Amino acid sequence: MKSSSGVAVLHLTKRFGAALAVDDLSFSVAPGEIYGLLGPNGAGKTTTLRVLAAILLPTDGRAELAGFDVARDPLGARRQLGFLTGSTGLYARLSGRELLRYFGRLHGMSDANIAARTALLARGLDLEPFLDRRCEALSTGQRQRLSVARAVLHDPAVLILDEPTVGLDVLASRFLREFVRGERDRGKAVIFSTHYLAEAELLCDRIGLLHEGRLIAEGSPAELRASAGGASSLEEAFLSLVAALPAAPGTPAPEATP
Amino acid sequence: MKLSDVTLVAAKELRETLRDRRTLVVMVLFPLVVYPLVSLLMAQVMSSHTARGQARRSRVAVVGPVAAAAAVRARLQVDAREFDAGVLAGVGRADAAGDRAAVESGALDAVAEVEPGPRGEARVRLVYDEARDESRQAHDRVGAALGGVLAPGCAPLFSLEDQSVAPRARVGGYVLSKLLPLIVVVMIMLGAFYPAIDITAGERERGTLETILSAPVSRFDLMTGKVIAVATLSTITGLLNMTSMSLTMVEGIRLVGATTPVAIPWTRAASTLIVVVPAAFLFAAVMVAIGAMARSFKEAQTLLTPVYFLCFTPSLIAGLGDWDLTAAAALVPGVNVTLLARDLILGKATAGAALLVVASTLAFGALALTLAARLYDSERLLAADEGTLPLGAWVRRLLSIRGDGAAGSAGGEAVTGASVLASTPSPGHALAVFGLGYVLLFFVFIPLQSWRLVPGLVLSEWVGVLGLVVLYARGTGQRLVDVLRVRRVPLRVLAGAFLVGASAWAVVGLLAEWLAPAPPELVESLRRLVAPQGGRGLALTLALVALTPAVCEEALFRGVILRGFAAKLPRLTSAVLTGTLFGLFHVDLWRLLPTGLLGVVLSLIALEADSIVPAMLAHFVNNACLILLVHEGAVGSAGDMSRRAQISLFAAGMAVLAVGSMLVRGKKPRASAV
Repeated sequence: MKSSSGVAVLHLTKRFGAALAVDDLSFSVAPGEIYGLLGPNGAGKTTTLRVLAAILLPTDGRAELAGFDVARDPLGARRQLGFLTGSTGLYARLSGRELLRYFGRLHGMSDANIAARTALLARGLDLEPFLDRRCEALSTGQRQRLSVARAVLHDPAVLILDEPTVGLDVLASRFLREFVRGERDRGKAVIFSTHYLAEAELLCDRIGLLHEGRLIAEGSPAELRASAGGASSLEEAFLSLVAALPAAPGTPAPEATP
Repeated sequence: MKLSDVTLVAAKELRETLRDRRTLVVMVLFPLVVYPLVSLLMAQVMSSHTARGQARRSRVAVVGPVAAAAAVRARLQVDAREFDAGVLAGVGRADAAGDRAAVESGALDAVAEVEPGPRGEARVRLVYDEARDESRQAHDRVGAALGGVLAPGCAPLFSLEDQSVAPRARVGGYVLSKLLPLIVVVMIMLGAFYPAIDITAGERERGTLETILSAPVSRFDLMTGKVIAVATLSTITGLLNMTSMSLTMVEGIRLVGATTPVAIPWTRAASTLIVVVPAAFLFAAVMVAIGAMARSFKEAQTLLTPVYFLCFTPSLIAGLGDWDLTAAAALVPGVNVTLLARDLILGKATAGAALLVVASTLAFGALALTLAARLYDSERLLAADEGTLPLGAWVRRLLSIRGDGAAGSAGGEAVTGASVLASTPSPGHALAVFGLGYVLLFFVFIPLQSWRLVPGLVLSEWVGVLGLVVLYARGTGQRLVDVLRVRRVPLRVLAGAFLVGASAWAVVGLLAEWLAPAPPELVESLRRLVAPQGGRGLALTLALVALTPAVCEEALFRGVILRGFAAKLPRLTSAVLTGTLFGLFHVDLWRLLPTGLLGVVLSLIALEADSIVPAMLAHFVNNACLILLVHEGAVGSAGDMSRRAQISLFAAGMAVLAVGSMLVRGKKPRASAV
């Protein structure tokens, strides 16, 4: 039995050749907590999340998912993880049910367990009307709900959700947020990455602000607003925190929208 | 129709297409590099094969009344090179039935049964086996020798009729054996082509790569599953083609109204199944490995098309010639499965050969699968694209039109406006420079050397090959010493390189001699290059044949090409790729193996030492050893040595090579720029 069931990131550094994507990053996410990872394009969010998913190897430092070191035991770490990003597409020529069975089996689940979890998620995520349709025939919202089901099918201890509400309408976004809250309440450690600061404010218990691979601020939404001189919103807080940073020579200014 | 809109659209599409370097590669380099290479290699193989076939003497017995038989023998003996004199003279033969059995068993190629004709001519019934190539050759030779012989008054001296001893099923098997193996192998490859792309580059393009990479499945298991899926599909393609081809052949022969219908030996045709499955596994693994390198469906197609042709060539060579399935041939991928399929259809395959072919094919497949798993590396697949080298910017820099002063500047941080120039060689650059070099080789260097060997060689190497490297460095704004990695190395490394060079010629030469011995003509032509008739001074030969390639070819291969591959690929893969290209650059099928192996060794030295200097030294010493041996008259080819001497030399060579490699490896040298 592993000691921790959350996420621990310690002095994580990731380089691609000469380019430094993540620079000495440390944070932790407790079970039953939603941690928002925010930052402008190119801040290192996607790289960090890929290292956590044991898809990329850290150059330095370490990261643990539910006590499994992502570099030393990548398969063990991935078994604890539900990973959903803008790049985790679905197999277009498989039906939703076939897709869930495939990933369930890859996670070592029994067919009975897969069927039970599929039925549960189909009710919870309202997948029933299209579960036997091929993924290529689904709408964006249906695909995203199926992707969520795929990510949580094996009931992982850690959930990483990168931009899960992109392209979803208001109702679907709200539905997804409710689902994520439900997972948190079931004791999951959730890392939620988004460009919608209002959404982060609504959902996240704590937020880490990434800029050029470094964590420049961390705290609850209220703490972050306070640290930015009592900003009225998280967006304002973010802009003032980034503006206060000394500009690195030769680097373009960060985009206005995080 | 609005012409201005049509031309506008056409111009935009052309611009977009031509800006895609990969399209250019397929459009320009592919026809210029692959076709000449394939045709030249095939011509070499076929001419060597034809020469061997012609050198074989047909075993033809002549039976019948003494006087008539003597006339036929006398006629056949006119060309002593075509017929085995001993068999022809075969005294005391009168038993035609026994000789027919010998034709059937293959002990004789043909029997000429002679009897006096009514008008004084000799009537010859030629009994042969139309399902055997040697027998068909004997048939043709006897026909040519006796056919046009006229007596005074123009009456033919001989009348000839044929009689084949081959049963229908054997004839069917023979026809099938000429077509089926090649077509089945080609169809297996074709069957693997698109599925291999779909499950590798297609997966990436459809956005499911990250989904599967985040699942708890090891990279090797993932690739094994993919290869099995592709192999299954290509097996089905192969089987369907085999059945369809066999049925079409029967129907085709019936339709053309053949008088003697052939029968398909179905059991033997079905036995080729044991070739289909391993071949499908091998080609699936190779194509999945190549597909794994690609970033898009289109790029995979670009990469796989030449590989498809290169995989197809050995099978074509094997399918067209009448080769024996020797132990060496059983180890050559593509050739082995084609020859085994043929032998299975002809019913002459042995269990040992079949086992060797299946085992070696599976072993090569496993190797390709391991490579595929290594190449399906998420770090590489998800990393940003390599720096591009826009053609216009490259030409401008080459001509120094843009006065940004970056050309020839140190470091090569060459970002000028919108033009991003690569600061180090990349695999794309390696292939492009090789392709350009290859085109020059075919259309300039080889004609130059055929015109005048010495000036041609000097111009090709010092101006052509080295010039290409210099132009590349200048065009990409890099210093030549950085591109080549001209770095000082410790004496220990130089000593190691010397030992490697002093032993590599023996090790790779003997391996080539054992696995694929070169024909005597090639050995002779190489000997003439080193020690021409009329003599050439040793110093000049060393400068031409040792120093020149050691500098110029190393600059191209262990400079731009190796560094380009090594920038993105694992060391061993880079060394093997560079070695293969180095072997291909020598445009000689028989030298492909030794030069390819030498290329791998030299690449490993350059990578280990992180400097081109020891590779140059080893190349020089390797060539110099061969030159000195020829000058001393010590060797013709390894074939002249006894097996025991060969083994001793190989063992000694390996020992020196091992010591040399250890010295080169040592601890990582702290290199400094010269």
